[in-house]
Amino acid sequence: MALPNQQTVDYPSFKLVIVGDGGTGKTTFVKRHLTGEFEKKYEPTIGVEVHPLDFFTNCGKIRFYCWDTAGQEKFGGLRDGYYIHGQCAIIMFDVTARLTYKNVPTWHRDLCRVCENIPIVLCGNKVDVKNRQVKAKQVTFHRKKNLQYYEISAKSNYNFEKPFLYLARKLAGDANLHFVESPALAPPEVQIDLAAQQQHEAELAAAASQPLPDDDDEAFD
Amino acid sequence: MATTTEPTALKREDEEEDDSKPSAEDEDTGAQVAPIVKLQEVAVTTGEENEDVLLDLKSKLYRFDKEGNQWKERGVGTVKLLKHKESGKVRLVMRQNKTLKICANHLVLPTMAVQEHHGNEKSCVWHAADFSDGELKDETFCIRFASIENCKTFKDKIEEITESLSKDSGESEEGTTAANLIEKLSVEGKDKEEKSGTTEAPSSAEEKKDESEEQEKTADEK
Repeated sequence: MALPNQQTVDYPSFKLVIVGDGGTGKTTFVKRHLTGEFEKKYEPTIGVEVHPLDFFTNCGKIRFYCWDTAGQEKFGGLRDGYYIHGQCAIIMFDVTARLTYKNVPTWHRDLCRVCENIPIVLCGNKVDVKNRQVKAKQVTFHRKKNLQYYEISAKSNYNFEKPFLYLARKLAGDANLHFVESPALAPPEVQIDLAAQQQHEAELAAAASQPLPDDDDEAFD
Repeated sequence: MATTTEPTALKREDEEEDDSKPSAEDEDTGAQVAPIVKLQEVAVTTGEENEDVLLDLKSKLYRFDKEGNQWKERGVGTVKLLKHKESGKVRLVMRQNKTLKICANHLVLPTMAVQEHHGNEKSCVWHAADFSDGELKDETFCIRFASIENCKTFKDKIEEITESLSKDSGESEEGTTAANLIEKLSVEGKDKEEKSGTTEAPSSAEEKKDESEEQEKTADEK
């Protein structure tokens, strides 16, 4: 469901509620999908932030309105007021902080009071970190409550598409739904004058001297 | 000597960028819920059907955030250089792994100069008017490859393309400014477009004008 000030779209859209303790990586996860960036800095979300997130599937384009809610109690805002008309949900915890897993039942209970029978994915985030406090085997809540569970890492992108893929499949009742390449439209010609060209070159030179944020990180091949 | 190491090379094939997590079966433990939409399978178009792949390399892309004076990740995936079969235009397209979303989509123009990224031989930088999300945006990109060789392959290929573009467009190289070159090229490109009737993205002339005006303005301010 879109907010009043957001344009509606002519393809299927779903309200996705994202909950979980503060600092578990809800905002970072959403941002990763929105722009590709990985935000290291922690800035607690106040109330809620709603972001439209589109995916291309073999059944056409779909949109999740991601309701990225505050995890910290003091910034909770309307709390479960944000859950109304939620059509699917993600409950996030941090595998490096045991308490965030212990609080999952509370988030689940509050969510289910407002949203009955919606598909829910439990996500154990930060699995890239070496010293985990919650091992995969210790995660059992999803079996008791019939949730789907994924171990994810917003940092390494491990399984980062799985929660959305699972929810899309459930919402459409199609286990074979999958992501496809979105059409890469032909870019229009651009006219660049000399002044703009020089400006770009100056910016490029400045940028070239800045190091990458993750230069020493994992290689990929 | 017997080892207990797993055949990671095999596993890597479908799990490119993740760090060797033992992936549990995708067992569905979720509750049965009634679907809320009925979706029909649709024809999928990549928009790349009329192009030949000149280059195809795994890489990681970054965009420069001017306000924060820092590089920000844009995506991990495959960068491709595509040449249109009719118009001959070459563009750079990159898609994010797994979600297959576009993280870069721009023409390779004769003025495109790929430069070294200070202190890193596996990466390089350039500027482009990017069309990833359907509107032109000025972006400064940095791309990082798995090896120095791949980075060199990329740079060499771009150079080869821009050189041949420059040759095609200008008869008298001397005294012709870069701006003139581009202008000519874009006129030629438009003619061809009209003739071949290929499906191009709607490019409003007005939008372009605004864009260049804006560029001039920022240039003036500087």
